[in-house]
Amino acid sequence: MSEPAIRLSGVRKSFGKNQVLRGIDMQIPPGQVTVLMGANGAGKSTLVKVLCGVHRADGGTVMLGETPFAPETPSEALRSGVVTVHQNINDGVVPDLDVTSNLLLDTLASGGSTFLKRRDMRARAREIAAAVGLEIDVTLPVAGLTLADRQLVSIARAMAHNPELLILDEPTSSLSAAETKRLFEMVERLRDRGVAILYISHRMSDIRRLADRILSMRDGQIVQHFEDKPLDYEGAVRAMLGHEISEVDIRIPDAGKPVLELSDLVLREGAAPFSIDAHENEVIAVAGLVGSGKSAFAAALFGLTRPVSGRMKLDGRPHQPRASSDAVAAGVYMCPKDRLVNAVVPDFDISRNITLPFTRRHSRPGGFLSFRSERATANRMVGDMGVICQGVGDGILTLSGGNQQKVMVARWMAEASRVLILDEPFQGVDIQARRDIGRKIRETANTRTTIVFVAELDEALEVADRILVMSEHSIVGDHRNDNIDVSAIMAEVVDAGAAPRAAGI
Amino acid sequence: MISRRVFTSLLGAAAMLPTVGFAADMPAPFDNAGDVKIALVRYLSTGDFFQAYLSGVEKQAEAIGVDLRVFDSRQDAALQADMVDQAIALGVDGIIIQHGLTESMQAAAQRAVDAGIKVVAFDVNVENDAIPQVEQSDRDLARLALEAAVEDNGTEWVAGYVYVPGIAPLDRRDETWVEVKAANPGINEVAMFGTLDNPIANSVANQARAVLSANPNITVMFAPYDEFAKGVKIAVDEAGMTDQVSIYSADVSTADIAAMREPGSAWKATAATNPAVVGEVSVRTLAMLLAGEDPGHNVIVPPTLITQSMLNELDISNMEELGAKLPAFAHADVAVPEWMPLPAR
Amino acid sequence: MQKSSTLLDLAIKYGFLALMAGLIIFFGITAEGFLSPFSAVFILQSVAITGILALGVTATLVVDGFDLSIGAVATSALMLSAYVMVVWEMSAFWAVALSLAMGAAVGAVNGMMIVKFKVPDLLATLGMMFLLLGAQRIPTEGRSVSTGMALPDGTIANGTFSDTFLMLGRYRIADLVPLSVVFLIAAAILIWAFLELTRHGRLMYAIGSNAQAASLAGTNVNRYKILAYMISGTMASLGGILLSARLGRGDVASGNNLLLDAVAAALIGFAVLGAGKPNAFGTAIGALFVGILLQGLTMLNAPYYTQDFIKGAVLVVALVFTFALSGRTGRAKA
Repeated sequence: MSEPAIRLSGVRKSFGKNQVLRGIDMQIPPGQVTVLMGANGAGKSTLVKVLCGVHRADGGTVMLGETPFAPETPSEALRSGVVTVHQNINDGVVPDLDVTSNLLLDTLASGGSTFLKRRDMRARAREIAAAVGLEIDVTLPVAGLTLADRQLVSIARAMAHNPELLILDEPTSSLSAAETKRLFEMVERLRDRGVAILYISHRMSDIRRLADRILSMRDGQIVQHFEDKPLDYEGAVRAMLGHEISEVDIRIPDAGKPVLELSDLVLREGAAPFSIDAHENEVIAVAGLVGSGKSAFAAALFGLTRPVSGRMKLDGRPHQPRASSDAVAAGVYMCPKDRLVNAVVPDFDISRNITLPFTRRHSRPGGFLSFRSERATANRMVGDMGVICQGVGDGILTLSGGNQQKVMVARWMAEASRVLILDEPFQGVDIQARRDIGRKIRETANTRTTIVFVAELDEALEVADRILVMSEHSIVGDHRNDNIDVSAIMAEVVDAGAAPRAAGI
Repeated sequence: MISRRVFTSLLGAAAMLPTVGFAADMPAPFDNAGDVKIALVRYLSTGDFFQAYLSGVEKQAEAIGVDLRVFDSRQDAALQADMVDQAIALGVDGIIIQHGLTESMQAAAQRAVDAGIKVVAFDVNVENDAIPQVEQSDRDLARLALEAAVEDNGTEWVAGYVYVPGIAPLDRRDETWVEVKAANPGINEVAMFGTLDNPIANSVANQARAVLSANPNITVMFAPYDEFAKGVKIAVDEAGMTDQVSIYSADVSTADIAAMREPGSAWKATAATNPAVVGEVSVRTLAMLLAGEDPGHNVIVPPTLITQSMLNELDISNMEELGAKLPAFAHADVAVPEWMPLPAR
Repeated sequence: MQKSSTLLDLAIKYGFLALMAGLIIFFGITAEGFLSPFSAVFILQSVAITGILALGVTATLVVDGFDLSIGAVATSALMLSAYVMVVWEMSAFWAVALSLAMGAAVGAVNGMMIVKFKVPDLLATLGMMFLLLGAQRIPTEGRSVSTGMALPDGTIANGTFSDTFLMLGRYRIADLVPLSVVFLIAAAILIWAFLELTRHGRLMYAIGSNAQAASLAGTNVNRYKILAYMISGTMASLGGILLSARLGRGDVASGNNLLLDAVAAALIGFAVLGAGKPNAFGTAIGALFVGILLQGLTMLNAPYYTQDFIKGAVLVVALVFTFALSGRTGRAKA
């Protein structure tokens, strides 16, 4: 292996008490595509932000070639030769300007003469485009380009700096197959010119196509790297999703009658239909990579989107919620992921956060709230969940992440449900809170069916009676959590096509 | 610049020639009045006063038979200047500039004069000798109202005064107030207040309430603008001081007449110029200019004193009746040459 | 962490009320007659109309919205109630009912524009403001409405403001407390109880704090937002009715000062009791605070321009109280 273009040792970064990067050691060699894999919350984006100058590391060193590299601003990183193409394409281009102006944006932004010579600018823009093999009319406005062309423009612009390191953060997440192909051709051309490329993706097909090396990241650390050909893709996913021998002993109870019956459900155009029954007293975990359709599945059950086709039945009756309020009224509750965006009401105290969906239950005629009834419920739930606080009148934001999450789960456990959906309930939660929440989910499971969408396999193994694997917006595996064959699950997570379709039990 | 006298005599001489030998009732260019286009370029337009002014302009223009165009800048000084230019481009024969700011209108008015257009200004000083200024005499308004106050109350009283500095007509009325106070040392002004926050009457009422409770010995309120007077009257009524306080004001409207005629109303008198008459005079002044006659540089429309007792005796309940029953209010004998047709009444 | 900053907490919580008490004492000493019951009633009456408007705008602030049209709604109600009685010669009941219905309808249209057509709240209500300013002048060609006025078609309007209607603005209970003050207090209690004590108010606060979370908890966010604008419109039209009853005629006015004063009162309300968020009690206190200041300054013969200056200064201080001292960014925007 040649001298690395960039070398990180012991890079650490915390936000408050939350340690996101716990000592990153990695090297990225020139002329190769290094793929970085990691589940949600593993710290990938934080790492990218440290490298491109948005965040500063708390500790550790980064060497760019022979010189230390600690950019304070994105433009400093850019000047030093580290360019980043972000996930959100419109971050990389200015849609209202034409291609020429976009390609020369960094030059324009960093000064130069005030008055612009159109002809010179176009010539320079064509050079930049040609250098990366981008064939495009530089006079077009960017707003009229396809997503892929915008992406390529933003990469071409980045390449005009002759970078030593190019970081691509999930560049294909919104591209079609044909567009992806064009992007890959460009990436390969750059690799052949000796650029070091750090490629962050969840898509196994992308990774198979491009990867020269794979780094698996988990809990703020690089847990394993893979260089030997053929690359061990399954091993990489396993390292990323993690699987330690669980300390939790799952005793699978007898499942009751079916509560939720899904037949021939199609979540998006072209996805394979699937059929699943979920029973009373059953905890089901749904595992899958980001973009595998977990969110779409949860959204369909909770009435946020309508499935393309198929039938959903709740206790034998059709379940067709048109809005979250319909789902709640039918006894289908969902504790959403990304609690700060989707669940926490920051101005409210613990008590009000807990009673939010069920204010009617705490109201007297005329809609007047009974604060006593609210407090009683809140106190009960805080005690049950083991929320650490001074009282239910504490502001929700005074709590730690784990305790906030307990409150969010408590919100939906305060009333009896038929189906309880928990979307990534362990996200950004410490291990103790995770165990508490998992235990509580299992303790109360006997009166309903419970579906937990998980980011890491460990979580599924800790909480579920049954594990479903999602890929390509369909269920590709269905396993009883009992002497489970982890590598079989991994294979399904990684490779949808190879796995047999679940046959609906 | 050509002096006014030379200018007007030149104009007069030029205008004399074609009139000779014509037997028409009106001098040129009004022998073909339908071909004469005049423009009214307004700065202020909302409110009863300005509505009435416009109707006066329209009636007089109709009586003469000229083609009237109305441009309304809605308190946009720059737009008003642009509108003068639009009127010039439109090829009008005469322009009436109604209100505006000296700074923005002076140059625009000069451009119109340079284009050979006759210009009359109402209540805005465009500092131009070729342009007659039509004015309602704010000093006379204040003087008439204060004379009534002195007649009713003698020369020794405790006064409250409503005033917002920086508004040209109010500033002119204030000059008279200052003079009257100087001439009558027995007048003791204990409070001065005022605001133009709208609705003005409501805001002034709030202030007047505070003033009356701080100075319960006030017997005369001088509120030389009817919106002020309306607000003061509300406050006086609310404070239960109707019997003690007398209000003297300027300007009048149908609503004001009703307020003055309420039983036991504290609003004793107001001095007013009929805005419709001012509008008529503006058009007549312009017509005289167009016919080559000299209306004089300052065309002043004299005010009328309207007292509560007058209104009650003549049983006047709106502006139309005021005009009909108080001839001095309905017509001003200003800018009326022999040939001038007057609006039907 | 909490104990070391008790003094600051106290300052945040009671600072504004202390300031108000200080102000009352100051004016009590310097302005003769300030501390009489009459003076107290004057103050309440002078803030009654803006206070009622401010309570309405508080409802929209609670759902993280804003209503710029309240001033125009109030003056439209002023014109409409006068028009109903003077031109259509209908009773006080219809003047009040039609004006309130107009306010609620305008609020509903505002709400629909915002939730259904996704027009940003400031722009939607700004558009509505201009629309109403024009619309209220069309029937009278820009003239004020009063008995004896000439209509565009040349006829004379003979209707009068009914005595019942005028009582809304002029009648005084026990010869002291005007009805408008009673309306202000009733409105303040109603809005306060609705926002603080009912589940609907609770859900509106949840929407204002995190609409996405409220929606995922099964709340019909759109319906509550429309409701908030309807409350705002109705309150504004109530303010307009009281204005009409006080003036006794349909005055042509933009209502911009009503809007600005009402918004100032609601924003000052953020600082009262360290709430840091829109609340009905704070709004009422905010309106009262401005009223006391203006009454006192007028009694001391302070010129009119100092009043705007003082109003602005109070608002700035209140906002600093709210956003800096309490160390929170106010509202979490998702």
